[in-house]
Amino acid sequence: MPSAIKTVYSNSKYLLLSIVIFSIMLVGLLIISEYIFLEPYVVSHIPSGTEFGFVLIVTISALSALVLPMNIFRINILKKSKQKMGGGIFGSIIGAAAGACSCGPIGFAVISTFGSVGATATAFLTNYEIPIRIIAIGILAITYFTTVKSLKIECKIDQTS
Amino acid sequence: MKKLGVILAVIVITIIAGVAASLSASPSETVNLDMGRTHGTISTAMGSPVLGDPLAPITIVEFGDYQCHQCYNWFHNTKPAIFQEYIETGKANLVFVDLAFLGRDSPKAAQATYCAEDQEMYWEYHNILYTSQESKIDSGWANTERLKAFAFNMGLDMELFDSCLDSGKYSKRVQYNTQQARVHGVSGTPGFFIVGPDGQEQLGGAQPFSVFKQILDTMI
Repeated sequence: MPSAIKTVYSNSKYLLLSIVIFSIMLVGLLIISEYIFLEPYVVSHIPSGTEFGFVLIVTISALSALVLPMNIFRINILKKSKQKMGGGIFGSIIGAAAGACSCGPIGFAVISTFGSVGATATAFLTNYEIPIRIIAIGILAITYFTTVKSLKIECKIDQTS
Repeated sequence: MKKLGVILAVIVITIIAGVAASLSASPSETVNLDMGRTHGTISTAMGSPVLGDPLAPITIVEFGDYQCHQCYNWFHNTKPAIFQEYIETGKANLVFVDLAFLGRDSPKAAQATYCAEDQEMYWEYHNILYTSQESKIDSGWANTERLKAFAFNMGLDMELFDSCLDSGKYSKRVQYNTQQARVHGVSGTPGFFIVGPDGQEQLGGAQPFSVFKQILDTMI
């Protein structure tokens, strides 16, 4: 495990934050993408043919839970810039939005409210759900590596100073 | 007296001509609907024909869009088990009602199913659409040419089918169905109402067979 991760997650506050982010993102995305239903019974299933989508959701949630607390650590503890935080949030949001707009209640509400513009946006997010999620994972992965690199340098500097 | 006879003859000829014209009208110009058909609180008069035994004690009303991938998932993962265990055995039947909202090809695809119904091939056409669905909305898989190609491959009378689809004969029917969905608070596809002898239950999304089984078994 890279020392940067050890440094951040040895603090229980950041570990807890990571668990909360992972749980909320995972459960939220699984509900939106209809892997989990809450009514009339709580039930989960992975329909055949949707396994890859499920893996992408788990990956996005895990990477968001890894990257976001590390960036919050940089801002809080090391008082560094908020620039890299943007990459993590952006990756998380576009990864989440990709599956949100489809034939479910969110897509229906968007189309009902915004008409043909909403329908076009919904169709785009639905048609390119998998590529958008892969791009989101790419953004989160890049943000992770740059954050680890920064933390190594910044922690070293802080320890020597 | 002679005049009266002529007038009567004209009236009789007119009536006979009218009856003959209505009987010889092409099937594409007749709509055979039971306008009073309801299931629970839902008017299914403009929906699909009933799949299964019309006298079955339970009716599953499905609101769906032919371009919706969750409807595709339900059609392939849940519906076969429901069909085998409840519809084939006469315990339940199913009615499909259009909620065609996802793209510009959705209403046309829904209209095409009723053009197929004119030739008594509604469910066969419905099944072809859900088997042929492609993952992208409005990618052309359900455009007018493809809808006609599906009909051609099924061996439908293409003259009737083309004139039906091109004239937009069933456009109001699909709009009525979509309105029914909105009136009943369906906010996505697929959406279901399971209507039993003692009431109805609403279900949202492509839920697994286990959920349907649990509800259906309590209603039987």
